[in-house]
Order: sequence, then C-alpha cells, then structure tokens
Amino acid sequence: MAASFNSTRSLVLLRAIAQSGTLCSSSGSRALHVTAVCCKNRAARIRVGKGDRPITYEQALHPHHIGHRKGWLSQHTSNLQGEGGAAERTVEDVFIRRFVFGTFHSCLANEIVIKRRGNVLTVCALMLQKLPPHKFYFLIGYSESLLSHLYKCPVKLEIQTLQDKVVYKYL
Amino acid sequence: TEAIDPTAYKYQFQDDPYLAPRTSAEFKLFSLSQESGRSAAKYFINSNPKFFTKDFAEPHIPCLMPEKVSLLLEEVSEEALKERISLRKVKAAVDMYDQLLQAGTGVSMETTHDLLDLICLYSDREPVQEGGPETEDVVRQEGWRIRRASDFLKTIWRENNNAERIFNLLPERDTHCYSALIRGMIRHGAYVKAFDMYTDMLNNRMTADVRIFNALISGAPEVREKYNERWDLIAELLNQMNQQKVQPNLLTFNSVLKALRRCGSLARTQALHTLSEMKALGIAPSLASFDHTLAAFYKAASPTQGQTDLLQEVMSELAGSSFTCQDPDDVLFFSNVMRICLDNKDIELAYRVQSLVEAGENWRLLGDSHQQTIYYGRFFSLLCMMEHIDVVLKWYRKLIPSLYYPNVQGMRDLLQALDTDSRLDLLPTIWKDIQLLGHANKSELIEELLALMARETHSPEVQESFAVCALDVKSVFNGDRGTLSLEWSTSALCHITSLLLRAKRTQEAWEMLQLFKAKNRVPSEELMNEFLLECHAAGAPDRAVELVQLSAAFCLPATPRLAQQTLKDFDLTDEQR
Repeated sequence: MAASFNSTRSLVLLRAIAQSGTLCSSSGSRALHVTAVCCKNRAARIRVGKGDRPITYEQALHPHHIGHRKGWLSQHTSNLQGEGGAAERTVEDVFIRRFVFGTFHSCLANEIVIKRRGNVLTVCALMLQKLPPHKFYFLIGYSESLLSHLYKCPVKLEIQTLQDKVVYKYL
Repeated sequence: TEAIDPTAYKYQFQDDPYLAPRTSAEFKLFSLSQESGRSAAKYFINSNPKFFTKDFAEPHIPCLMPEKVSLLLEEVSEEALKERISLRKVKAAVDMYDQLLQAGTGVSMETTHDLLDLICLYSDREPVQEGGPETEDVVRQEGWRIRRASDFLKTIWRENNNAERIFNLLPERDTHCYSALIRGMIRHGAYVKAFDMYTDMLNNRMTADVRIFNALISGAPEVREKYNERWDLIAELLNQMNQQKVQPNLLTFNSVLKALRRCGSLARTQALHTLSEMKALGIAPSLASFDHTLAAFYKAASPTQGQTDLLQEVMSELAGSSFTCQDPDDVLFFSNVMRICLDNKDIELAYRVQSLVEAGENWRLLGDSHQQTIYYGRFFSLLCMMEHIDVVLKWYRKLIPSLYYPNVQGMRDLLQALDTDSRLDLLPTIWKDIQLLGHANKSELIEELLALMARETHSPEVQESFAVCALDVKSVFNGDRGTLSLEWSTSALCHITSLLLRAKRTQEAWEMLQLFKAKNRVPSEELMNEFLLECHAAGAPDRAVELVQLSAAFCLPATPRLAQQTLKDFDLTDEQR
C-alpha cells in the first residue's frame, strides 16, 4: 500500500556494538554475529511466498519495469532538463499519498496517480465501494478543499470505484 | 464539443456509475454532502490558520488563504469596532460601540453607518451561521402567496431594539442612517414604522436616496388595504422622488411592478405604463420586470382571460438576447413563463422559450435545482400533451437524466403520451427507466403501467417482453431487491396474471393464483375465463377442476357457470364437483 516502506536491507558492521557486547556480562561473551552483505535490491518488490497472497499489477512488477511495463505514478515536468522544483514536488506527492490514504480509510484499491497540468493538481484514485456514495462525496469535497488551500492551487480528485481489488497474481 | 452531453450527469459529480446520482433525491444528497465536506475543510482551515499561511502562489490567490474568524483586537477602539463589523458579529459590535460612547471617544460617521447597516440587515440578531435558524418570533406570510418555505421564516423587527436606540442617540443623522433604518424595517416587516420614519425624515428636510424609495415602494402594499389606495401611495412616492430629483434605477421599476402584482385590476394598464417609462428613461428591463408584468396579465386561476398576445410580444422582443442576473427575482421568469405556456397549451411558444434558455449564458438564469425541476417538469408535460411520440422521445433522451429527473407526475404524462400514440411496446424500456429513477415503489405509477400493458393483446414478441416486465414488477412487490415492499392490490395481481397467461407462461401464472389466496385477494371473472380457455387449449382437465375449486373457495358468482363449462368441454373423471 501507499504508506508501507520496504526498507533496504544493508548490513552495517558496527565495531562499537561488537565492542560493547564484550563489556556486557562477565561470564560468557555476547558477540554480534555478522554474515557477509547480500547485495540485492529490495525496493518496491514483494517477494515470492506461499502462494496465497493476492498482488495487484502495480505491486507485482518491479521498479525496473517502469517505462516498459508500468506507467508512472506521479507525472510532473520538473525532471526535465532545466526545470527545477523536483524535490518540492516529491515531498508534496508523499504528503498527498499519505493524506488520501488516511482520509479514505481502507477504501483505496491501488496506488494513487498524481498528475500536474498547468496549475491544476489532479489526483486519480481507484476506490473500493465500501462507503455509501454520499460519504464518498463528503470526503471528496473535504480533501479537494483542504489540499487546494494547502498547496494554493486547484486540486481535483477523480475517483473510480471497483467492487474489490483486481488481483494480478498470487505470490 | 459545444453542446451539453445528454447522457452524462452534471459535471460536479464524479464520472463513475457507483457515484452518479440517479434520482433527484440522490442529486440533492450528493451535492449537499460535497458542500458539507467543503465547509468542514473550511472550518478546519480557519481554526488552524498557521498551517495554511505559507504563501508561495505567484500571483497571490486570496481565496485560498485562511480567513480571519476570530477577533484579534480586544481593546476599546474604533479599529476593534470595524473589525467586529467586518466579521459580522452583531452583538459584539453593539457592545463595543456602547463602550466607546461611554468612554467618550467619538465614532466616525462611516463606522456608524456601517454599524447601522449591520444591525438593520440582521435585525439585531446574529447571522444564521452561528447556530440554528431562529425559531422564535417567526412571522408567516399570507396564505395565498405561493412561496417556498425559506421565505416564511422572516424575523420581525422588535420594538426599541438596538438600531433604534443607537439611531436616537446620534447627534446628527444623515440620509445614510435613515436609509439603513428604513430598509431594515421594510426587510423585517415593520412597514408602518418605516413610513413613519420616512415622514420624519421629510420633516427634517432631508432628501431620500434611491434605495429608500425602492424599499418604500416594495413595502407600500403592506400598509394599505385597497388596490387604488396602494397605487395612489406608490404614485405619490414616485412624485416625491421626482421632486427630490432622485433618479430611479432598474430596481425601482422592478419594485413598482412587483407591488403592482398585488394591486388587482389596476395592474395591467399601470404595468404597461411603467414599462414604457422605463424605455423612455433608457433603462433596459430585466427578466424580473417581464416576469412581474406577465404575472399581472396571466393569473394562475383563469387561463382563458386577457390578451394572450402579450407573451408572444415579450418572447419576440427577448429572442436571441443574452441576460445577466440583475435582480433576485430574475430566476423566477422562466418557470413562470413555462407555466403560462402550459396553461395556454401553446407548444410553439414553449419551443421559443427553450431556445431562449439555450441561447448564450441564459441557462444560468434558470435558478437553483428546484426552479430547474419546475421549469423542465412543465416543459415536459406540455410536450407529452401536445406532441407526437417521436418528438417526445427525442426530448426525453435529451433532457433526462442530464438536466431533469422526472417525478411521478412526469412519468404518468409520458405513459399517457405513449398510450395516445399506441406505442405501448416501449413500455418495458420505460419500466427500466422508472426503476432507475427510483419511482419503482410508487404504487399508482406501477398500477397504471400494468393496466396499460394488460389492456389489449399484442403481437407475441411484445407479449413476451411484457411478461418479463411483469415478472420484474412482481419481484418489486415481493421486496426481493431489498427496497420497501408494496402492498399487493387486486388489479395489480390480475394484470400480472393475465400478462403471464397471454405470453403462455402457465406455470408462473399458476403461482400467481396461489398468491391470490395467500394475500386474500379475489381474482376477477375475466381472469378465470382466461384461465379456463388456457386449460382448454392445453388440454389439462385436472387443472380446470382445480380452477373451479379455487373459484368456489373464493365464492365467486361465476362458479356455477365455470363448473358448467368445465363439464361441457372436458371429459372428466368422477372427481367433478
């Protein structure tokens, strides 16, 4: 989901810990057992498991497939030659993803797509039909208004609803 | 694309089948919930402004900044008073003013004007958004005026309230103070006092301004009873306006015309005079002026009276021009004009009105969703009455559901039109639309639909589609969909059964007969006859005996005849009765 972070696992050898381990107790030594670093990519990948975990298309394809089999989740022009503001856009995107994830609690079916066209910020989301429509509209009006005031630009929400999440495969 | 897409819902809603409003109730619910979400966000923004003040918009966008809702200045000063006035805090402003007076510091004339305007606008109460609407001191308008409920909740002008007190305390009063008080009194119903204040002002040898006259003219019908007295008062006010060299504006004429509506038979001649005066002065009449004039000529209760040419002239004058909203009553123009067309059954004129609505920006003047429903409802019923079914269906597809959700009366008009042009094969599609619109639980509509379907026999495929439809209706009655289940009525049961029989669905028809017994309803005689014929055709004698037994159980008068016929037509075993 949007807010889950797969931390990259890199083992750092801390001499201090090893040293302090020997100071802990007098009887027996508690040392840090370290193996060799495993140079593997862990970003945005869901590892193969038992076969009962449903995975969407977005989650199934790894990041090196972006541009080949996946599209971009956040579309803006600040990564082009000579354009600035990429970092600010990224920070805004992260905030918007967390905000929408929290506002539409457990209704999101997939990651949010954020498009910037001119001044307008369009947030496209796929939702599950868990809430009655008038509650959806309340949350839509609320988040549009709040985000517009926060980012000083018109924010539009485009929602499509599904019965349940579309499963691509089971891992 | 320039034109509206007739298959889409209004653009303020999300473009998704789950989130699209299908009925007018859903329309209102969704738009209100979206608005309440926005106001919730506004509340949050205004109560925590420090998160939203970082301004990086180039150029600055003022509407996206948090607004000031709480008071900053606490000390007794004129700036604090101005702040309270701009935040519309009536009581706090009055207290601050009193404190200032007691402290001895004078208050400038403009601030006093603003304060008086504020108090008179809200009649010494807080504006409504502070709490719920005030329910005490509510005055009801006279019963014959057909207005919406919101107009009935007008606050009254209390005696000796703060406005009058402050007014009397003022050392010098100028026109603006008088105008604030007079307009406030008229707005909140203290008409006699307003006129007294006006004479007071004249005695002090001050000239009134345009807005005072507008308010007094609109209040004139309340202070006089007879029609000619009212008109005399208005004429006198206009004369005084002339003497004091005050130029009338559009709102003056509109208030004259509006007051004329309540002047009875005088209205017609004077209205035309007023219109010509407007033209002479070069003030273009707005839609509201036409609305009031037409109301004077076309009373709702008497359709065949008066010249009917006036509307034609008005339409030819207005044709093709684009209007902006200049008067709050402009929005009532279109629905009233369509009412006149409906009363006079004039379809050509209705088309001209519709083309006026579609011209330019005039769709904005249709008013809010309630007015729009009224307008389109009247237009659609006129179409169903007068036009051929193909034209009706063309407009049906154009208007629904993007612009208009028909109510039960509209659907019944449509069924009538289908009947008149004997296009009853379209009934199943109309039934689907009825279900979509949420009218499937209205019993009289369903009964009418079933009666139309069951009246005559049609060709086989049509009968088949009718039978499918009938089964659908049956499931609605049983409450299968989880909606409110309706009470079975005799005619509905009979119609459904006969429809099923004609489509040769005998098994389901037999089930229906059992339902008759379960719900204690008596089947009709034709139904039994039909069943008997059917059994004869199918060659099922035991069914026929069962039929006779059933009719005996219901104590129908036709039982002996049925028994006779059964005996005659079938070779029965000895189980006959």
